Amino acid sequence: MNSTPIDDKLHQRLLLARAVPGDRLMLGDDTLQAALAGTRALTPNERAALQQSPLTLRRFRHLALQRHAASQSAPAPTAANDALWPGSGGMLRAASSSAVLDELITDDRYWTLHFLPNDDSWQVVLTLAPNAPFAARLLREQAMLRVVDGGGAIILQGRLDADGECERAWPFDTAPASHFHLYGASFAVEPVAP
Amino acid sequence: MRLPGTRYQEHGWEQVRKLLGRCSLQAFRQIDMALMLDAPHHAELLDQYTDAVAAALRLSGQGARAEAAGNSYGDGVCELALSLVFELRAQPTYWGGLMSAIAGEHARIGAFWRQASADAMLRKKVNDMYAGLRDKIDADSYTVTTGRACSPNKMYTYRMLDTAYRDIAQLFAGWRQHAAQVGAILGRELAGIPIEARQMKSIAGCKAEWIIRWSASQEQYSGAAGPLHTKSKRFSSLKNSPEKIAAMLIEIGDYEELSANLDSGDDWQSDAGEAALWLEDYWRVIGESEAREAEEEEEAPLPDVVDQILQAPEPDDEEEEFELADEAPDDDEEGEPSESAAVAPLLESPASTDQLRDEQAIASALSLPPRYLELARSAQDSGSWTLRMLKDDTLAIRLAVYHKLLGASDDSYPDAWLDPATGELPTLQQLAALDQVSMPTLRKRRNAAIDKLYAAQSRDGVKKEYA
Repeated sequence: MNSTPIDDKLHQRLLLARAVPGDRLMLGDDTLQAALAGTRALTPNERAALQQSPLTLRRFRHLALQRHAASQSAPAPTAANDALWPGSGGMLRAASSSAVLDELITDDRYWTLHFLPNDDSWQVVLTLAPNAPFAARLLREQAMLRVVDGGGAIILQGRLDADGECERAWPFDTAPASHFHLYGASFAVEPVAP
Repeated sequence: MRLPGTRYQEHGWEQVRKLLGRCSLQAFRQIDMALMLDAPHHAELLDQYTDAVAAALRLSGQGARAEAAGNSYGDGVCELALSLVFELRAQPTYWGGLMSAIAGEHARIGAFWRQASADAMLRKKVNDMYAGLRDKIDADSYTVTTGRACSPNKMYTYRMLDTAYRDIAQLFAGWRQHAAQVGAILGRELAGIPIEARQMKSIAGCKAEWIIRWSASQEQYSGAAGPLHTKSKRFSSLKNSPEKIAAMLIEIGDYEELSANLDSGDDWQSDAGEAALWLEDYWRVIGESEAREAEEEEEAPLPDVVDQILQAPEPDDEEEEFELADEAPDDDEEGEPSESAAVAPLLESPASTDQLRDEQAIASALSLPPRYLELARSAQDSGSWTLRMLKDDTLAIRLAVYHKLLGASDDSYPDAWLDPATGELPTLQQLAALDQVSMPTLRKRRNAAIDKLYAAQSRDGVKKEYA
């Protein structure tokens, strides 16, 4: 049985334009992103919260469309807003659940996190792809950046060197793979407000 | 003012507001105002009102004023007004607020809507309703776009700060004439042109203490107390929190700069392709969640996963809540379409020659093409979910459902559904006449049909169709 374009629009309308007095955001972005990425399924309560909240559904829709846009536009960045960069997010992929994690890439493919074993601990290196539309600006402005995990803790903070890299010691006791599993399986690279 | 997701906060709002006021007065003339005193009628009146006001808006849609841009994303004034009317249907508390305002006036001075001065009073009350509604809608869209909570009151506060900034910028520009107040804002005597006036290039460059001192000086220089210094407590706590003000000013300024060369905000009236795209994600996420739950029930339970449901944010200082409109659910017990019976006869059985002749007479009398019903019927997609859910309803009812949920015109409608004279679906009057029923009956059946769709969507059946 198929679903016609009008059906889709009607479903969207039925889901999003309902009267729910006192509606508010019920699930955080981490939870929604992890569900979208398939790394963590919603619990029954979370599922009910999503289904009963048009506002949360609209946020879900926004994030879902953003993911689609990011996966499509990544190789061919648009020139019009090349200087804009509000931050990039990424997820631990299901395939990367093996014990050793050597790198993570943001959904827009502009940032890579490398994990290098160093005696009992690790070094973490943030690398900016030279083809990122905002690369020139970030390098020129020597912008302060940070990488945070799904729980909001800072993994790394600093400025890019001339090669577009920033290296720091891994700040946690747990290994990178287990750490990300504990904290929402997601991470984000963000500009730090001056 | 622009913020992520907002559509109703720019200068063009004045025109949107006026258009809504004018069209609302036209709509009220078609409504029995006395019923507004009676809460059980409110839902039905909202239905009548939104139908009538949307029709009036579409008629006015040709004027130059209606086509003017209502915001810098290029949404027209009429378009914005129409979408706000759509939003009102999903926010009946605001309609309830209008109903109590009208009932309050009636308690004071009787059936005022029959008096000559009624228009101004009604327009004022309608204004109030839409002013609150636009802040609610924009606050929600802000949340959707940014993931950060926002309330209508906070949206109002952003706008107050934006207005204050504009006033300060004007005073700075005319610093010679306003030397005393500019001095009061800057907190020092002026000696020649104030350097701050040149440096403040955008709202992000406006200092929080200037806003506070400007507000404090308003009473002396303009005769009316500034917004942070009125007797009302609305913004009074803000004057002790310059850091809060500063953060909001910077946010407005940053987004204004960021969005200056973007052509669209969060376009939530999207095309069908987008709807399909995210709905697919939606059914998948729901499906994965259900699968996991089933897995846990069958096998040894996996380690407990803690629910990550957000706490309700702290309420604003004084969040004003409308009285909840008494939304009597339509418990007509329409009986949901049984799933097993679903697939068989999708289209109504072909009409007999006699029926066709009758239909043609009716259509012609309504200035529709004679074969309108026949052609519109065959233009339905027989695989459609909606058609299957509403197979017991007439074509006119189904079109009325689309009319209400998606609007009179939508690029997904087949041509055969449209009235060639307008390029839109037939009006509700025409649809009622096609079925030879009264408008209230058409509305009642249409609403029952929409309830059926809601019920069907929340059942599991829908998801399977997507799989």
